[in-house]
Amino acid sequence: MTNYKVKYILLTFLCGILFSLSAEPACARVNLPAADTVIGRVVTIASEPDYPPFCIIDKNGKADGFSMDLFKAAAKAVNLKINVKIGVWNIIKQDLVEGTVDALPLMGRTPEREQIYDFSLPYITLHGAVFVRKGTSDIKSLADLKKKTIIVMKGDNAEEYVRRNSVSYNIVTTNTFSEAFRMLASGLHDAVITQRIMGIELLKTDKIKSIIPLDLELSEFRQDFCFAVKKGNTKLLTKLNEGLSIIIANKTYDDIHLKWFGPAIKEKLSSFDVLKIVLYTVIPLILIFFGASTLLLRREVRRKTKSLQQEVSMHERAETALKNQQLLLAEMEKGTKVGGWEYDVEKKEFTWTNGVYAIYGLSPSEYNIKGKIKEGPARLYIPEDQKILDKAFQNALNEGKSYDLTLRMNSFDGKFKWVRTAGNSVLREGKVVRILGNIIDITEQKQTEEDLRKLKDGLDKLVAERTRELSEKVQKLDKSQKAMLYMVEDLNNVSAELKLEHQKMEAANRELEAFSYSVSHDLRAPLRALAGFARILQEDYSKSLDKEGNRILDVIIENAKKMGTLIDDLLSFSRLSRQEIKLSLIDMHRMAQAVYDEIVPEEDREKIEFLLQNIPNAQGDPSILRQVWVNLIGNAIKFTSTKQKRIIEIGFFTREKENVYYVKDNGVGFDMAYRNKLFVVFQRLHNIKEFDGTGVGLAIVQRIILRLNGRIWAEGKVNEGAEFYFTLGNVEQDGHINNT
Amino acid sequence: MNANNLVEILLIEDNPNDVELTLRALRKNNLANNIYVVTDGAEALEYFFGTGKYNNRDINLTPKLIILDLKLPKIDGMEVLRTIKNDDRTKSIPVVVLTSSKEESDIVASYKLGANSFIVKPVDFDKFVVTVRELGMYWLLLNQPPC
Repeated sequence: MTNYKVKYILLTFLCGILFSLSAEPACARVNLPAADTVIGRVVTIASEPDYPPFCIIDKNGKADGFSMDLFKAAAKAVNLKINVKIGVWNIIKQDLVEGTVDALPLMGRTPEREQIYDFSLPYITLHGAVFVRKGTSDIKSLADLKKKTIIVMKGDNAEEYVRRNSVSYNIVTTNTFSEAFRMLASGLHDAVITQRIMGIELLKTDKIKSIIPLDLELSEFRQDFCFAVKKGNTKLLTKLNEGLSIIIANKTYDDIHLKWFGPAIKEKLSSFDVLKIVLYTVIPLILIFFGASTLLLRREVRRKTKSLQQEVSMHERAETALKNQQLLLAEMEKGTKVGGWEYDVEKKEFTWTNGVYAIYGLSPSEYNIKGKIKEGPARLYIPEDQKILDKAFQNALNEGKSYDLTLRMNSFDGKFKWVRTAGNSVLREGKVVRILGNIIDITEQKQTEEDLRKLKDGLDKLVAERTRELSEKVQKLDKSQKAMLYMVEDLNNVSAELKLEHQKMEAANRELEAFSYSVSHDLRAPLRALAGFARILQEDYSKSLDKEGNRILDVIIENAKKMGTLIDDLLSFSRLSRQEIKLSLIDMHRMAQAVYDEIVPEEDREKIEFLLQNIPNAQGDPSILRQVWVNLIGNAIKFTSTKQKRIIEIGFFTREKENVYYVKDNGVGFDMAYRNKLFVVFQRLHNIKEFDGTGVGLAIVQRIILRLNGRIWAEGKVNEGAEFYFTLGNVEQDGHINNT
Repeated sequence: MNANNLVEILLIEDNPNDVELTLRALRKNNLANNIYVVTDGAEALEYFFGTGKYNNRDINLTPKLIILDLKLPKIDGMEVLRTIKNDDRTKSIPVVVLTSSKEESDIVASYKLGANSFIVKPVDFDKFVVTVRELGMYWLLLNQPPC
C-alpha cells in the first residue's frame, strides 16, 4: 500500500466530516480568534534541516516542509506566534528537554519518547522501510538483516526501533539521513532503515539513484508523527491540539498535504487493502477526528459561554458606570453649584438636574412654583437681565442661536445671586427641537472679585498712606540728621570750651599751687621774724620792760605761734584737694590702734578706756585716711580731757550694704543745733580757753571722706559725748590695691 | 668774716632777719665761729667756683657744712644744690636745706638732688634754736666727712 492511498482515504473521511460540521452555523466562527489566546507569547520551535518532505530548509535557508507548514498553520489558528530555529535532530531533541525550545514540529511517537515528551494528536502515520544499494539480493526478510550492518540517524526512531527489536547488532549512526545514504551509496555498510516517504524524498533531493527501498514490511516500525512539547507542558499541548483540529477541520491540512505530497493517485484497492486501510489508517483517523471535533465543540461552548458572560458583565458595567456618573454629577453639582437643563420644544417642558433646583432655591418637587416657569426661562431675574435672557432664549428657540450670559437673579428662597447661564439649540431637520443648557452660580466668584477689588483699593490706600508716613519719617529723619549735625557742632564747641576750661583750671591749679607755696614760704618768714625777734627782745631786754611790757611781749609771741599753726593747718587743708589719691586695701583696725598709740602719751593711757572693735578693712589712700583717724581720735581725746572717766570707742556696723565706722566718746559733746557748723573750716563750737584748736580738723576729715566718695555725720549731746560716723563709699579701684 | 679764711659753715640765705635769727641760734650753741653768709644763689656759685667778686678766693678751701635756703634771688636754691652736688670738688660737702617750705615736692626734690637734710624753719624761735643746735652738732661734730 502506498502513501497516496492512505492520503486518499484520509482525505475522503476528512471531507465528509468537515461537510457535516460546516452544516452547523457555529462552525463558521471556528476561525475567529479565541478569547483566551496567548497573544504576545512567542513559542520557539526547532526544525531539522533534512527530513524531507517534513522538515527541510528552503532556498533562503528557512525552515520548510510539511510539518513546518502544519505547525505554522496550527499555531496561527490559535494565535500563537512562533520563532523557528534550525538544528540537527539530536541537538534539538535535547533542546526541547532543556526548555530552550518549546516545541518540535515533527517527532515520531514511541514508548521511550513518551517518557520524556508529550505528544499532540498524530497528524500522519508512516511506516519504515529498508533502503539498500540496487542489486542487493541477500535481504529478503527481517531475519536477513541480523548479520548486516545497518546505518541509522542517531537518536531517530529508526535507531530506537533497530535497537528495540534487535534487528541487527551492527549499527552505525550518523547525524543525518543524508549522511547515512551517502555512506551507503559509497558502498559502506549494508542498509539504511528509515521512514519510507522521507527516505524516498531525501534520495530524490540528494539525487541518489543507486539506493532503493525494499518492499519489506517492517510491521514494528510504524510511526505516528506528532508535534512534541516538553513533558508536562499541557498548556501548549492543548493549544497545539486545538490548532491541529482546526486546520484539519477547515481543510488547511488538506491544502498543506497536497502541497507536499501531491494529489493522491486512485488505485484499485483489494478488499484486504481496504481492511488494512481501515485497520491501520481509517480507525486512527476516525479517532483523531472525534478527538478533534470534541475539542472543537468544547472550545466553542467555552467561547460562547465566555462571550455571554462578557455581554452580561458589560451590561452590568455600563449600568454601574451610569449610576456612578449620576452620583458624580450630583456630587459635582453639590460642590460647584452647577446645573444642567434641557428644554423640549414640542412639550414646552424643562428637565432640570438637581443643581438647577439648588440654584433656583427650589426642591425638585416644586417645579413651576407660583407659575413663574412657563414655556420659557424662570421669572427670577432682575427685570433688565430678565429681558436679556428672554430675548436670548427666543433667539435660541427660533433661530438656533446659542447664548452664554452672566445675569443677576433673586432665587425663590430670597437670595441674590449672580449666575452664568448658557443655552445651545439642538436641531433636527432644520428645526429646533431641544435646547440644552447649563447654569452656574457664580455669586461667590463675583463676591471674591468684589472683595479682591475692595482689597486692592484698600491696599492702594494703605500703600499711599504708608508712602506718606514713610516720606514723613524720611523728612523727620532728615531733620534729626540736621539736628544731629548741629548737636555734633555744639558738642565740638562744648568740648572746645571744656578744653579751654580745663586749661583754665590747670592754670588756676598752678596758681593755687604757687599761692600755697607762697603762703607756706613767704607768710611764714615774716611770722618767724616776728616771733624770733620778740623772743630776742624778751631774752635780751626783759629787764628794761616792766611787767605789763613783758605780758604784751608774751601775747605777741603766742599769737605769732598760733598764726604759724593756723597757716600749717590751712596748707594741709588746701593740699588735700590737690593731692592724688592712691587706693589700697587698708587694715583699719591696725591703723586706728597705731594712731591711738602715737598720739596718746603712755602716761595718759591708763586714764582712758579705749574700746577698739574688730573693724573691717577698707579701700582708701593710707596717708589721708590716717589723717582721718588722727583728727577723730585726737578730737575724742581732747574733748574727754575734762572728764574723770574717759571712754573712747571705735566700731562699725553695716547699713544698706555699707560699712559705717564710728568714733564715740563720752566727752563734752555738742549741741545738735550746731551740728551743721561742725565741719565748716575755722568754725569752733568751744571756747579757745576750754579747748585749743584752729577749727580746721573736722573740715579736713570731711574733705578726705568726700574725696573717698564717703559720707560723714555726727551726733552728740552737750556733756554726754559725741559720735562721729563715716563711710568710705564705693571708691573706684584703680589697680593700686595692696595689703597694708 | 673774710671769705678767704677757713670757713666752717656757709649760710646761703637772702632774708636778713632769718640770717640774724640763724646766726643767733648758732651763736647760742657756740657754733657761730667761721660762718660765712652769701645772700643769693649767684653769689653762692661765684663763691664756690672763684668767679666774680670771689675771683681771688682759693677754691680748694671748702666749708664743712652748707646751710641752704631754697627761695633765693637770681639763682634759686635747687639750682645751687644741683650744681654743688654735680661738682666733684664740692659734692661731698653736707648740705642742709633750711627753709620755710613744708611742701612735699620741695622735700622730695631736695633729697633727689642730694641734700643731706631737709629742715623746716619753726616759727617758734625756741624750737628754731633747738633745731639749729641739733643740725650743727650733728654735721659739724658727729659727722665724719670722707676726706
